[in-house]
Amino acid sequence: MERERNNAIPDRHQTSDWDELRRRLTAAREAISREPTRAEKQSILMARAAILAQDPAGEETAADYAEVLEFRLAHELYGIETTYVSATAPLLELTPIPGTPPFLLGLINHRGQILSVIDLKKFFDLPDKGLTDLNKVIVVQNDEMEFGVLADEIAGVRQIRRNEIQPALPTLTGVREEYLLGVSRERTVLLDGRRLLADRSLVINDEE
Amino acid sequence: MDSELQKRLLATFRVETRERLETIGTSLIDLERGPSADLEQELIEAVFRETHSLKGAARSVGIVAIETVSHGLESVFSALKRREISLAPPVFDLMHASIDLIGRLLPSLEAAPIPEENEQVRALNQRLVRAAKGQYPPPPEKTALPPAEREETTIEKSAPPKTVRIATEKLDAVLQQTEGMLTAKLAAAQQVEELREVGRSLALWDNEWKKVQPVFRRLRRLRQADGIDGDQYGVLFEFLDRNHATVHGLTHRLAQITKTAELDHHHLGGMVEAVLDDVRDALMLPFASVLPILEKSVRDLARDRGKTVRLATEGASVEIDRRILEEMKDPLLHLIRKCIDHGIESPDERMRQEKPPVGTITIALTLVSGNRVEIIVADDGAGIDTELLVRTAVDAGLVAPEETERMTATERLNLAFASGLSTSPLIDDISGRGLGLAIARERTASLGGTMSVMTSVGKGTTFRISLPLTLSTFRGVIVEVAGQLFVVPTTDVQLVSRRKKEAIATVENRETIDLAGQHLSFVRLRDILGLPQPAPLAENDYVPLFVLAADAGRIAFGVDRVVGEQEVVVKGLGKQLRHVRNFSGSTVLGNGRVVPILNSRELAGSAVQAATAGTRAIVGTAERKSVLVVEDSITSRTLLKNILEGAGYRTLTAVDGVEALNLLKTDPVDLVVSDVDMPRMDGFELTSRIRESREFAALPVVLVTSLDSREDRERGIDAGANAYIVKSSFDQSNLLDVVRRLI
Repeated sequence: MERERNNAIPDRHQTSDWDELRRRLTAAREAISREPTRAEKQSILMARAAILAQDPAGEETAADYAEVLEFRLAHELYGIETTYVSATAPLLELTPIPGTPPFLLGLINHRGQILSVIDLKKFFDLPDKGLTDLNKVIVVQNDEMEFGVLADEIAGVRQIRRNEIQPALPTLTGVREEYLLGVSRERTVLLDGRRLLADRSLVINDEE
Repeated sequence: MDSELQKRLLATFRVETRERLETIGTSLIDLERGPSADLEQELIEAVFRETHSLKGAARSVGIVAIETVSHGLESVFSALKRREISLAPPVFDLMHASIDLIGRLLPSLEAAPIPEENEQVRALNQRLVRAAKGQYPPPPEKTALPPAEREETTIEKSAPPKTVRIATEKLDAVLQQTEGMLTAKLAAAQQVEELREVGRSLALWDNEWKKVQPVFRRLRRLRQADGIDGDQYGVLFEFLDRNHATVHGLTHRLAQITKTAELDHHHLGGMVEAVLDDVRDALMLPFASVLPILEKSVRDLARDRGKTVRLATEGASVEIDRRILEEMKDPLLHLIRKCIDHGIESPDERMRQEKPPVGTITIALTLVSGNRVEIIVADDGAGIDTELLVRTAVDAGLVAPEETERMTATERLNLAFASGLSTSPLIDDISGRGLGLAIARERTASLGGTMSVMTSVGKGTTFRISLPLTLSTFRGVIVEVAGQLFVVPTTDVQLVSRRKKEAIATVENRETIDLAGQHLSFVRLRDILGLPQPAPLAENDYVPLFVLAADAGRIAFGVDRVVGEQEVVVKGLGKQLRHVRNFSGSTVLGNGRVVPILNSRELAGSAVQAATAGTRAIVGTAERKSVLVVEDSITSRTLLKNILEGAGYRTLTAVDGVEALNLLKTDPVDLVVSDVDMPRMDGFELTSRIRESREFAALPVVLVTSLDSREDRERGIDAGANAYIVKSSFDQSNLLDVVRRLI
């Protein structure tokens, strides 16, 4: 074995083809010195022009897309832009606060912080049909507001082209139009996170 | 410039400028006290440097108005430094006016300056320029006051501490996370307990084994005597031997693991406590940090009211939780206003009474124990005229005239805290609206503190405030109602007790309770909070209760159970809940559970309203059927429980099959409603186990499931379920129909 390998090395040196190299260099030298024909020039330029003339739509920017967290709620697929979502968590404990509206389910301890949790079904007055798990919390927030939205299941994050979002008919979704961005091509009901977070009717502020 | 960048720059500038203004303000007050020549020069130098930096900072962010004013200030101090001019009262007024103006400009830096502001800046600048030349025109409206009492002041000088600037939100976030770590500590304790439990089960097994061992040995000996070996029994004996050895090995390993877990728990606990202490410590600020504001406010107010007042402070180095200091700023300012407005007399009046012409307000802070501080705000003024206070209270309809006869001196004095009461003849922006003291006391109470007042006519008034050092050392009584826990601040609770049902009597359609010969209004916390009305599990002869003191007298609140008293960490209700009636916040117990904190004042108010609205007849508790709900999702579990309880069933809950079986052993029920898909033990298996057991073989089981296929249905029936409800078509009535048919 040892011997074979010793033999193989000088062999490879022999075949490191100096002739081949020289041939290639000559070809290259010729190609450089030779002036391309008019037709050749024309075809190269045409090809370049074709590339440049291509519709830039192919190179889409991030602004054309909405990154959406999709979740399931009462057998419907909903979505909310991830810019308004700070975390998701399983719902383990829930402390109801007496005297609050039915959509407010209670408080949870989210990473040491107190967070109120709402049921969108109740807030949107959607028909209360069926029994679902409702044991995931989506934490939505901006500078002024923060609360948890309950979901049955987190479906995942997906990019949705903004120009493919269609206006939603409230009759179709049961959700009041003001809270909707629209409906995606895949029939995901897209909620307007900004509106939801700014909505005064979600804030509980009893009279003294 | 990038607007986002500009915004950030302005925010930093604002913070910096506030600090600089505070430093300048403090130095000015020190200068005004007339320090020694050396110190004076040092202070002038310090202020000069501050104004210079301020000018530079304002220029770099392009705020012309502040730049102009600080330039003016700088030139005055530069003249002072060169001793071209000397410190005279008008200079101080001008300086204070300048820093006030800069302070007023700060909030609206982003907006273009409005004409009035420009006018003010221009006028002030002219005065500053003239002052730098030693020309002081008399201030437009007021004549200069006699200078404050001169006294030797020495300023402690120490090396600047090594510090870094951290946003308070970041520190708060760290504190919250750290408090959350307490849960991990508790979970570790739980784990140790569970391991020990497994160990105990194994010990039981060992006892059983020891009992059968003699039988086993005898059998083996008998067979050996008969010369039989290697047959089926031999195999069985060998297997039992091996089993025994395996279990012994496992027991040994378990003991080791338990020991390690105990050590881990011990270490984790120690570390968490230490970190928490350190973080809390990092959030402490010396009391000195609020003093500049208080000093400035004393100066401004005294000047405005034509009085001369000196502020004496003690305990400036004592550190308190930043959140408490922040919350106490307004109450302290209010007390100072009270002292200056109603306490300290005018200099002439003081002369007549042979008091020193300069009044003194003392703010003293002392540590009274490891976790409490006492703040005393005292003046040497006229004291509170209790007679006038009582007369005003009667006029305002707060107390009945005949009631005043029975009132003790303390009760009379405490009228000062009653809302809507003011003895000040004139109503202005500062005091005299009669709300301030009530609010100040309430704010103190919301931090777990107390406020009291003492007065001596002609000698002065003393407000005594007791506060916890950190927000975490708030004590609360934990009570249970309708399966939910609530915290009542201990400071508000007068009494925790229990009374026989017979002690409750209905007088004029209101319930009262006899407590040591006194009849108090009695309400049920359950009714006040509007909680559901399931009858208690076992009819109790005693009613546990707690007593709150309210404006309308003492009120006893009946609860299901008083769980105990403990330290609680005060947390809010989250951003969405600005204010919820009857609640002041929430807390997280050691096990991570969130518990609402009751607002005693509002609760007492609600109780009075509820009592006048008439009481509800107490429904007798007939023998009720009971249902066990087994479901891993908390929302579904609560929904099912509420539906069943609403229909009058007694309801127990379990999170999975294992817990359900354990619960059944101690508390048999009439029916089981179970989810199918659950961790540890699913609904199918639970159903089979119930059918296999001797005592529950006939117990009806209803399966509620999201699985809707024929196979699943058949699997459920095979397992022995009596009914099968599909979640997608679930509604309240079909569940109740099924339950009613089965029991």
